[in-house]
Amino acid sequence: MVQTLRLVFSNRFYIVLSSVIFTFMLIGLLVISEYIFFEPYLIGHIPQGTEFGFVLIVILSVLPAVVFPMNIYRINILKKSKGKMSGSVFGSFIGSVAGACSCGPVGFTVITTFGSVGVTALTFLTNFELPIRIGAIALLAFTYYTTVKSLKIECNIRY
Amino acid sequence: MSIAIISAIVAYSSSSIETEKSDVRTHGTVSTTMGSSIMGNPSASITIVEFGDYQCHQCYNWFHNTKSSVFQNYVDTGKANFVFMDLAFLGKDSPKAAQASYCAEDQGKYWEYHNQLYTAQESEIDNGWANPERLKVFAFSLGLDIELFESCLDSGKYTKRVQYNIAEAKKLGASGTPTFFIVGPDGQQQKIVGAQPYSVFKQILDSMI
Repeated sequence: MVQTLRLVFSNRFYIVLSSVIFTFMLIGLLVISEYIFFEPYLIGHIPQGTEFGFVLIVILSVLPAVVFPMNIYRINILKKSKGKMSGSVFGSFIGSVAGACSCGPVGFTVITTFGSVGVTALTFLTNFELPIRIGAIALLAFTYYTTVKSLKIECNIRY
Repeated sequence: MSIAIISAIVAYSSSSIETEKSDVRTHGTVSTTMGSSIMGNPSASITIVEFGDYQCHQCYNWFHNTKSSVFQNYVDTGKANFVFMDLAFLGKDSPKAAQASYCAEDQGKYWEYHNQLYTAQESEIDNGWANPERLKVFAFSLGLDIELFESCLDSGKYTKRVQYNIAEAKKLGASGTPTFFIVGPDGQQQKIVGAQPYSVFKQILDSMI
């Protein structure tokens, strides 16, 4: 797991991407959930009884900041591998292996990453703010697990 | 023809509101005539107007985390007074809860009932905690005349009053709860959106004193 993270975040581009995602997610969710106010003064506070919600927001900001750059990394690897393998007799074999090892459904991963974030951002008015945040975290954690697994088992072996 | 009908409806609505509460009261640009009674010193130079919903969780947070400090330092000391207005829009039980508070007011227990609602609030909107039956239970627990309260609530006596408050909120651009308007002595007015901490209120109130 640590090796996979090192592999991705050894490149400065992914560190910057991760930082940007984390910052936007954190500030956005904290503003929506009224932990930060910009008017009349810039102020942040954690009201008593809302500490758990705050922790969930921090987790929810960290996970996409890790998962999304990892998936961009996967997309780049797939692109490179496609370029290298084009015309090769191993192309179809590698393609089928990629699908079997879940490097294929990158689109689904991206959708779930953004979808859960989008849903979470919109739930501040609903009754299920905390359960949906927990669900989104579970979904992102699962995405993280599958991403690490595929990078480790399939993509990592190839490179 | 249609204009005449609309005029008649408007005239009827106005007259029925007036029969419920006749004194006209304004703080800055906020018409608080149909809001709560004034809490604190009526001649205080500053008025804090809160637009809230009894099912709003951020209003609950403000009530439990910030209100006591604001009251202790400004309302109880006579520097400011406080008026609550209804922006009851979050669920189907919200307008009924607001109406119930005015039925309690009929028996001189508006603020007790107001406090009771914000103490009993549950996190899920419209889960039944503020349905008419529970609203009557709250009234009973405060020792109100339950028959009077029931007839007031069931008749929809204060439906228009609550609707007026909601319209007033919209007119002032308050689209969420809680929204506060702090009106100073020279008519200066500051809007605070959300359950902001005490330090924000202190800074604004001190600048107006």
